Amino acid sequence: MELSDGTVVRRVLDGDVELYRVLVERYRGQFGKYAVALVGDSDTAADAMQEAFIRAYRSLSSCRDPERFGAWFHRILTNQCHDARSKRPDPASLDLVDLPGDDRADAATEQTELGDAIAAALAKLTPEQKEAFVMKHVDGRTYEEMAKLTGVGIDALKMRVHRARDGLREMLGGVL
Amino acid sequence: MSEDRQYSSDAQRYMDGELHAPLSDTEQKDADRLMHAVQAYSEQISAPDSHLDDAVLDEIRKARSRSAGWRWIFEPRAIRLRPVWVPLAAAAIVALVWLGGRPGTSTDLAAPQATALGDTVFVRFQLLAPEARRVAIAGSFSGWTQDALPLVKENGGLWSITLALPLGEHQYQFVVDGERWIPDPRAHAQIEDGFGGTNSVVIVGPRGVVQS
Repeated sequence: MELSDGTVVRRVLDGDVELYRVLVERYRGQFGKYAVALVGDSDTAADAMQEAFIRAYRSLSSCRDPERFGAWFHRILTNQCHDARSKRPDPASLDLVDLPGDDRADAATEQTELGDAIAAALAKLTPEQKEAFVMKHVDGRTYEEMAKLTGVGIDALKMRVHRARDGLREMLGGVL
Repeated sequence: MSEDRQYSSDAQRYMDGELHAPLSDTEQKDADRLMHAVQAYSEQISAPDSHLDDAVLDEIRKARSRSAGWRWIFEPRAIRLRPVWVPLAAAAIVALVWLGGRPGTSTDLAAPQATALGDTVFVRFQLLAPEARRVAIAGSFSGWTQDALPLVKENGGLWSITLALPLGEHQYQFVVDGERWIPDPRAHAQIEDGFGGTNSVVIVGPRGVVQS
């Protein structure tokens, strides 16, 4: 049977430090793509995620509701990702990304170029729009799940996602 | 942004998975293109692999190893005072009450003050809240239980409590009327609590010095 977050947190605080790995595995899987999408590259995202897990461990005694460790860690991770992102050089301009064109070599190349174009455009969104859009469309969460994770209301989250879509459409007009 | 660069509300609902009536061909193609592009992006990226788990645990083990010699100082524990210390403890508390309980205006309100006794430090917390019906303090030292440590109301709406805390770093907030969590406005250090709020931080040192 899978241990609940609350059980794991309490046992870690009681000294079973190795059990923290359960939380790391669990949320690396759940939030890994989110971190990569927020930061913009895999290596920097992995560093940010590692630092977020260590910060969470150091502050574990201040996690007021251990059963909601995931939501608490999500906020720490988000802050860490924005911090890491701000220290990176500016992302490639959309003008420099190879946008799919009629002379594309094959479907795989087109997919890659399309993905690159989305990555470059995501980097131009506001942090709130990017967070909401990635949770919705990269992680595939419902608005209810997003609200539970972030503490933000569903209407506000929808507004952020809608604006993000409009922003992407504006930037990627030629591609889409 | 020009109007035609925005998706219609029906198209937005379609992409939200909430519209079951058909869109126009053009709108549906537009929406599907964006969803297709995002799917391509999503398939292109992947979560960090399991090396991250080992790296995190290694860092934690190293940190614990480095702090092993000091850990006994920082771990909370039950406080036992030998009889010989009791008068001194009482004197320390009296001193703190005197320090913090002088006739007060809001400008007299102090950051947490401390008096040391052995490896325990008595820390006095204060909050000016004239309108409050009750005030408690909740923190990492009390498992964040919100009603366990009520403050006492003094003159001028000043609330205070003196706690025996072990050495180390503690996070806390005041709980006003059982529902409003607020950080200590006089604390020198504040930290995000991960839920959009702020915890105050008090660092209790071995000589009774409190940095907060």
